Amino acid sequence: MRPNAIESLRAAQAALGEVIAPGLTSAFAVDSAQTVQMLLESLASEWDTAAESLSRDSETLRSLLSAAGEALTNAPAGNESLRPLVSEIEHRLRDDGTTSLMISELASRNGSLRATLESVLVTFEDQTGRPGSEKIDEVRIRIYKHLKEVAARGWSFWDVSSFRGRMAAINSADGVDDSRESVG
Amino acid sequence: MLQQRIQEYLSAKIGADDVAVSNLVRIPGGASRETWSFDARWPENGMEVERGFVLRRDPDASLLETERDLEFRVMDAVAGHGVPVPKMYWLESDGGLLDRPFFVMERIDGCETSPTQVLMDPRFFPVRAKLAEHFVDILARIHALDWRGSGLDFLGAPTDEAACATMEIEKWEAVVDRDALEPQPVLRAAFRWMRRHPPPPAERIVLVHADYRTGNFLCDSDGEIRGVLDWEMVHLGDPMEDVAWACMRPWRWLGDENIGGLIQREQFYKRYEEESGFSVIPEAIRFWELLGNVKLAAIFLTGARSYCEGRTRSPMMAFLGRNIARLELEVMDLMGV
Repeated sequence: MRPNAIESLRAAQAALGEVIAPGLTSAFAVDSAQTVQMLLESLASEWDTAAESLSRDSETLRSLLSAAGEALTNAPAGNESLRPLVSEIEHRLRDDGTTSLMISELASRNGSLRATLESVLVTFEDQTGRPGSEKIDEVRIRIYKHLKEVAARGWSFWDVSSFRGRMAAINSADGVDDSRESVG
Repeated sequence: MLQQRIQEYLSAKIGADDVAVSNLVRIPGGASRETWSFDARWPENGMEVERGFVLRRDPDASLLETERDLEFRVMDAVAGHGVPVPKMYWLESDGGLLDRPFFVMERIDGCETSPTQVLMDPRFFPVRAKLAEHFVDILARIHALDWRGSGLDFLGAPTDEAACATMEIEKWEAVVDRDALEPQPVLRAAFRWMRRHPPPPAERIVLVHADYRTGNFLCDSDGEIRGVLDWEMVHLGDPMEDVAWACMRPWRWLGDENIGGLIQREQFYKRYEEESGFSVIPEAIRFWELLGNVKLAAIFLTGARSYCEGRTRSPMMAFLGRNIARLELEVMDLMGV
């Protein structure tokens, strides 16, 4: 069935840019049309890869949470306050069985995993640098590497202005660049 | 309809029966409030007076939940202290007059505010250096202002110089708590990081504009800044907060490292130090730049929630909510992870 969704979005963008916008007289209407144009660009940029990205991202999150659980379990003895988080991770990894390919279902599953990752990362920020936290530090770095990859995906209006240089550095490094100074 | 109601309002305010309002148009920008421009003409002492006005009206839903009377009072107060702002005329908290509360101020004609125009229109190329100097000098003037003497202590000062950072962390963490629609691991981790890495205490508590950047001033083609706009987030705090906000990557519109697309960072610091007498401490700037990016993400979250809950149909609110990822990238860079 053609045109597909992206081709149809491109048609809407073309009409907006070439037919509708030139006929607008008010600056506010022109500004709104530009915003809609960018919104369509944002949708088009992720349409084809959304399901794949969510699915892969969730698998990576599962792997990171598993490693986080292990690091927390092996944290220095006496740190009983970390046990509930280990239980939360175990529960999340057990209760994560959707096989639906609907974007809403994939996003919901991903959101649940990210919620647990949020708890993990906040805890790791409190634990990092402490004696015996080497395993936690190691997983923390892996988590941030993944979050940076996710944060660099898709299209943003800033990519053609403020973030142009930054995104070029990322793309030239064939992934997330880690050239900036790390202070831990 | 709105034009007629503005006309009736002005007649009452000016005390003239035959006020004529024309050229009423909504103008883009200032996403936290609706902004309208219009002309008004009326007879006064046998003469015909004609003036341009801007009306800022509370929206149905916004990126920011702020009090318009705070913005009005501060802009009115700073006007006499070398800080260029439009003249403030009337503030109306009564939502019945024009459906929602609003204020009316002077329209400054012959100026540009769009960063794209200011940075890319060849008219402004020869005056960019002058514009950059004005940009820094006005910031120093805002920070030099005697806020107690100007009656601005109603803004509420932090308990001491060390509390400036804590207050802002708590303020924006509360916004994320209230408005996030999905997990925010990067923002949550950033709050933790900021609590572990507080900046040095402020040298002095000053008036902080809190949105001072390229895109929030009116400048003419001579490189003069004739109006500093968007004071919604103004508060008392650490001057480094404004310096760092101006430095943030989202406002480096040309995609290079120049601050606001105007000036190299070292030059910016040097001139600011000369003009303000404050020392720019890189460690403090890093903290405040990080907080600024988190704050901007929180503002976008507020807009996204407004849209998703149906309180606004603005495509801008939907769009900005989809642009938080790049801010997360910047936050993680600044955390050094």
